[in-house]
Formats: sequence, structure tokens, C-alpha cells
Amino acid sequence: MVGLCAVGHDGRVGFNAVLLIIIVLVSYPVAWWRDGCPGAIRGHIRARSWGLLLPPVALMYAGVSTPHHWLVIAEVPAGCLIMIFAPRAARKIVPFALLGLALVGVVLARRFQEGFFEQYQYGLVLADAGSSRKFLVLPESGLFLIAGLWVSTRVRAPGSKWITAIVRRWWRSRGGGVLPGQELLLLLVMVLTILLTHNWLGNYGLTPEESVVLNVAAGVGAMMLVFRSRLWAATAAAAGLVVLGTYGILVAIYWPGMPGRWYGVVALDTEGHAFFGGIIEGTVLLTLGVWLAPRVMGQHLGLREAELAARAERLTERVQTLTQTRSDAVDTAAAELRRIERDLHDGAQARLVALGMSLQAAERLFKSSPEAALALVSEAKEASSRALTELRGLVRGIYPPVLADRGLADAVKALALDTPLHTVVDIDLPGEVEMPVGSAVYFAVAEALTNAAKHSGARTIRIQLHYEHETLRAEVIDDGAGGADPEQGTGLKGVERRLATFDGILAVSSPPGGPTIVVIEVPCALSSPKISSC
Amino acid sequence: MRVVIAEDLFLLREGLVRLLEAHGFEIVAAVGTAPELLTALIQHRPDVGIVDVRLPPTHTDDGLRAAIEARGEVPGLPVLVLSQYVEQLYARELLADQAGGVGYLLKDRVFNDEAFTGAIRTVAAGGTVLDPEVVQKLLSKHTDGKPIARLTPREREVLALMAEGRSNAAIAQRLHITEKAVSKHAAGIFAKLDLAQSDDDNRRVLAVLAYLET
Repeated sequence: MVGLCAVGHDGRVGFNAVLLIIIVLVSYPVAWWRDGCPGAIRGHIRARSWGLLLPPVALMYAGVSTPHHWLVIAEVPAGCLIMIFAPRAARKIVPFALLGLALVGVVLARRFQEGFFEQYQYGLVLADAGSSRKFLVLPESGLFLIAGLWVSTRVRAPGSKWITAIVRRWWRSRGGGVLPGQELLLLLVMVLTILLTHNWLGNYGLTPEESVVLNVAAGVGAMMLVFRSRLWAATAAAAGLVVLGTYGILVAIYWPGMPGRWYGVVALDTEGHAFFGGIIEGTVLLTLGVWLAPRVMGQHLGLREAELAARAERLTERVQTLTQTRSDAVDTAAAELRRIERDLHDGAQARLVALGMSLQAAERLFKSSPEAALALVSEAKEASSRALTELRGLVRGIYPPVLADRGLADAVKALALDTPLHTVVDIDLPGEVEMPVGSAVYFAVAEALTNAAKHSGARTIRIQLHYEHETLRAEVIDDGAGGADPEQGTGLKGVERRLATFDGILAVSSPPGGPTIVVIEVPCALSSPKISSC
Repeated sequence: MRVVIAEDLFLLREGLVRLLEAHGFEIVAAVGTAPELLTALIQHRPDVGIVDVRLPPTHTDDGLRAAIEARGEVPGLPVLVLSQYVEQLYARELLADQAGGVGYLLKDRVFNDEAFTGAIRTVAAGGTVLDPEVVQKLLSKHTDGKPIARLTPREREVLALMAEGRSNAAIAQRLHITEKAVSKHAAGIFAKLDLAQSDDDNRRVLAVLAYLET
């Protein structure tokens, strides 16, 4: 990417001036001209948006390299060309370039600390060993990092969804809080730990192991901050404050007078400095930590209780739902049995009685009037046929034979075939559902199809049956007029109650003008596919 | 005519045997389970097999599966499937091999023994006999955009009766038209469904299959 060696800055001004001229005096006017100069500058900026940042970002890269390597210098005109001719690509490149720049800053600071060079340029900062400007490099790198992340979400760069999701999650996390801005407190501790590591731990130039440990600690703190809750942020902050404070006091007491070493903002060069600085600064930090710790613990306990209460509430709700659906199921079953009894009583049973009477009359008439007897026997035959038809209807309503024979997938196919409208069936069931669930879904689909055929005025109905995430999902979509009201009619209500027994749901979307979509979802397990046997 | 009967309920099986013997059929085997049926169909190669859809061992559609399997072994082996209920799905599966010689009727059609034996003979001769209840559902089906939609209402009537397995003469009688007119309608149906020239029986089977596909 970029040569990271940077020694001296002689001649830089000249080069940078040339590069600046390329950017300001050449590339932007060219881009503006391409956008239809003399159009409004504001419109031009809006159209190209973040891509316009590419040339200056490229310039920052060029700044870090001395002597100027041709690859690095080529970056600036390349950035300008991309900005001019490929504004979309430029938009996407900017965030990554900024993130790269942040990384470069960290690496430069580390190498500088290890004594690889005495002076270097990073972004807007010219750092050298003698000046305090060198402390600005890491904050600047942090700014580039934040800018990179921010821009990446604005231009919807690949991976930016994650960033947005994490920020949203953190924003929404409600773990309660001791202080309004306690996560900022943790952030402060983290920043102090990372940026002033050599100060807190009293030495310039950490060994790689120390650095790894510190960064991991900071990372864990950040994870808590981002993923868990404000409460965990406060917990981490309290622990950090206690550790740093204790360390400061111990340093002041046991190792005073270490020239060249620092504790926070206090140099430990003389005993007096070390004692008062370490004691005061350490005590402040420790006090803050000790003050925070019990509050945090209290919050943890309160949260635990709140969690338990919430769980109890959820369970109570669940019990209520189960009680309700169970009572519905019992009622429905009872009503169903009553209906079957009545149908049998008034239908098939009555016809069989009539049939028996016809046969008995025929028996009586056989000798005296064979013709009349024959007519009665024919009548009896008709009656038995009608009784069978009625029984067939009844059986279909109880448990459709095709469902018993073939399972849900084929039963839904059979339903589609029996629908007078044109149907498109899309079924993907890797196994077979339990009989009660299959039956409930079958009748739900049947009801949806009946409604579509009767009321929607549709030409085509699409039936989908899929199994995903432990849930059976059926959809019946018609291209009819829409505007169906699921509240009307008892059919769908009954279906809904029946599904609720299995924690299933039925949802209807039917905007005026269509399409009408009926979705049925039931959480259930699938058994292995039916094995055909003869 | 040699017949194999498969029906698991003893009373019904004996009833069928008696009925068919009374009409001069020769019952070469009367069995009660699907595996027995398969063996009997393949061993005896009867002129027609009369099969109940629901048979042991699983009491689901074993009979239907056995019949289809037997037709896989002996192409075009005529089978008349009986059931307490009819499904278009099963009718399609039975006809899918396009070989003809398929019947699919409700069990209570047995009550009308003339029509029933007529159906058996039609199936044995390679024809197709679908239950009027199946055909009824086909008639109510919307056919927009399908080849069937090109048929005139009269032609659809003729096709429906054809699906029930009726001969041209029977159709003519039913619709009060001449047999010649029926042949003309039939030719119109075959042309509109793009059925290539072949023997008439085969085209009738294909036309019924096309009808089921709507």
C-alpha cells in the first residue's frame, strides 16, 4: 500500500504543493465540467458526495512517505481520476482508504516509539521526538477510524451493515445505568489505557506482550460496551479505575523517583512528584472506582431480579395462552363431535332406516306384486347410494382420506386440483408433519382456497408450502380484487383457533386491489419422509 | 373374461366375486392385501384387475400403488380401481403412463351392475373410465389459457362423457345427436388438443389425460 518508512521532510512542501494543485486546480474543475458546468456547484457536490473526499485522502497517504516513492505519488492522480471518471467507485473506496489511514497511523506511532525514525508526517501532524505533537498522532488515527466507519455506513460499503447493526444494538441496549454517561467513563478509561499506556505503566515502549494484553483488555471492554449493556460498561469502568488507582498508589509508595517514567499526567522523576502525584491521582481514580463498584453490583442484582420477574411474567402469559387455547380446543372438539353426531343421525342413519323399511316392504310385496317390490328395491339402492355420498362428505370433514393416505403435501396438491381456479403449487417439505398439525394446516389451506375461489374474483391462486426454521409455512396468494376482511365470517376464525392449539398463526393481507395473501405458520417438527410401501 | 379382485373386507370381496361370476366373468384370484395383489396381477396377467385403493399392510393407498407398480411391470395391464372416495390426484397418477386400460370409480357404482360390468369391459378393452364425480370437478374448472379452452361447450360435453368411458353410440344417445356428429366432435377435440394421428382408442386416452391436466 504505502511505504511506511518516513525520514525527514525535506522537499515535501514542494511536492505537496504540486499534489494540492493537481487536486484543487485540476481535478475538481474537471469533475465539475463533466457534470455539466456551469451547473450548480451544490448539485455537483451532492451527486458525487463522498467520492469527492478521495483526492485529499490520497494526498494524506502521499504525505506519510519520504522520500516520495513513485507508487505513493501515483496515488494522488489515481485518486483524482477515479473521483472524476468513476464517482460510484470513488464513493466506495473512500471509507476503506480512511480505515487504512487509521491503521497506518497506529503502525507509524509504534515504529516511531521503537526508534525507527525521529520525525514523520501523518495527516495534518508533523511529529518529532522533541515535540508534544507526537501525542496527536493516535487521536488523529482514531478520528480517521471513526470517519472511515461513518462514511462506510453512508455509502453503504460492503460490511457497513454490521457497523450500523452494532451501533443500533448498543444504542438500544438497556441494562440500566448508574451514571447517565457511564459508557463514556469506560471509554475514557480505555482511551487513557491505550493512549497513555507508557504513562500509566511507567515506561516508554511497551514490550509486544504487554501491548497485546492491554489491547485485549481494551477490546474486551469495548465488546462489553458494544454488545452487552451500559451496565457492563460501568462494570468494566469500575474495575479499570480500581486497578489503575491501586497501581498508582503502589507506585508512589514503593517505586518513587523513576526519571523518565510517568503515571498518568504526573512525571515520576522526583520522589515528591511521584508521591503527591501518584497518591493524589491514584486516590482520585480509586475513589471513583470504589464509589462506582457497589452501585454497579446493586444494579446487577436489580437487573437479575427484573429478569426473573420478566420471566415469571412471560410464563404467566404462556400459561394463560395455553389455558385459553386448550379450552378452545376442547370446545371445538366437542362442537365437532356434536356436529358429526347430528349429521349421522339426520343423514346416513335416517337413510339406512328408510332403506331397511323399503326392503322390508319389498319383502312383503315380493309375492303379491313383484313389480312394486322391484321398484322398492331400486329405491333402497338409491337410498344406500345417497347415504354413502353423505358419509363421504362427513369423512372428508373429519379427516380427509387423501391426507391419511399420502400426507400433507399430496393432500394440498389434491386440494389445488379440486379448486376450480387455475392453481400453481410450490411445495417443499423434507418430511412429514404430525397428523393433528397436518390436519389443521390442511383445513386452513382449504378454507383459504374456498374463500379465494368464492369471493376474490381471482384467475390464479398460488399455493406455497415450505418448512424453514422449525416452522411449517403455508401461503395462499390470489390475484383477485383484495379487500377481504378476515374479521368477517366464522371460517377463518375457526381455522385460527384450531391453529392456535399448536401455537400456529394465520395472517391475512388483502389491500384493496389485491393481491390477497393468507399466511399460515405452525412451529412443528418433521418426521422422516414417508417411505412408500406396497 | 379373467379377473383378479383385491378387496380387504371379506363381505365386499365375496359380494364382488358373486356379482361378477353371475355376469360370466372368470375370477382367477381374489386377494386381500397389496403384496398378494401384485403377485396375482403379475402371475395371472388377467384381462382386468379390480382393485380397492385402501388395502393392508398400511391401509392407506397400497392398492393404488400396487396397481401402478404392476402396470410398470406389465405395461397396459388393465386395472379398475375402486374407492370410497375419488381424487383427481389419483386419477392423474393412474393415467400418467398413457397406456389406457384404466378405470377409477367410486365403490357404490357397483350397485348399478350393468354400468359396472360395462366399465370393466371398457377398461379390459384398453379404454378409460373415470368416475362421474371426478369428471364433474373437471367440468367446473376454469381453463383459461389451456388447450382445453379451445373446445366448444359441446366438445367439452363430449370429452366429459368420453372420460367417463362412454362409447360414441352411448354419447350420441345421451346428447341426442347422431353418432356421426359425435365422431365429428371427437375429431375436433383431437385436433384442438394437438393429438397426432394414431389409433382412436389411444387418442381418447390422451384426450382424457389432457383434460385431467387442466
